[in-house]
Amino acid sequence: MDPNLANNPQLIQFLSQEKERAMANEVVAKITSSCWDKCVDKPGSKFSSSETSCLSNCALRYMDMTMLIMKRFQQQ
Amino acid sequence: MDSYSSSSPPMGASPSPEALMEQIQAQLAEAYAKELIETMREKCFDKCITKPGSSLSSGESSCISRCVDRYLEATGIISRSLFSQQRR
Repeated sequence: MDPNLANNPQLIQFLSQEKERAMANEVVAKITSSCWDKCVDKPGSKFSSSETSCLSNCALRYMDMTMLIMKRFQQQ
Repeated sequence: MDSYSSSSPPMGASPSPEALMEQIQAQLAEAYAKELIETMREKCFDKCITKPGSSLSSGESSCISRCVDRYLEATGIISRSLFSQQRR
């Protein structure tokens, strides 16, 4: 690869931005997969309010759990 | 890869950063779509085709289309609850 291209600041910034976005997408995909199984029984033509709040709570609790697990590991 | 070689410049010349970024973005979008479709196939098959019959019933077909819509909606709901400002 052209060394000038590898050092292009615009490109470097683009790549780190895209990497961050890809990581965020991956977290969302993982949590959606788990929470879908827990919160949605039969997919209807519209989410009920309890399904919507289940999904939202599920996502936030998943993150809480992640923090807890990380803390637990740091203690050891 | 096909999509790469067809749009890459002749040997020797380096692609412009803009062209490279565009290519990367297109490939990322493709990978994301593929993964999403794969997940929805799995999830909606589990929910909608509980007892596979000799053909896809109309009930199963409409369940699948609702399932796809709801899965996309669920992705949005979760993304918003994780990344919106008003987090407790």
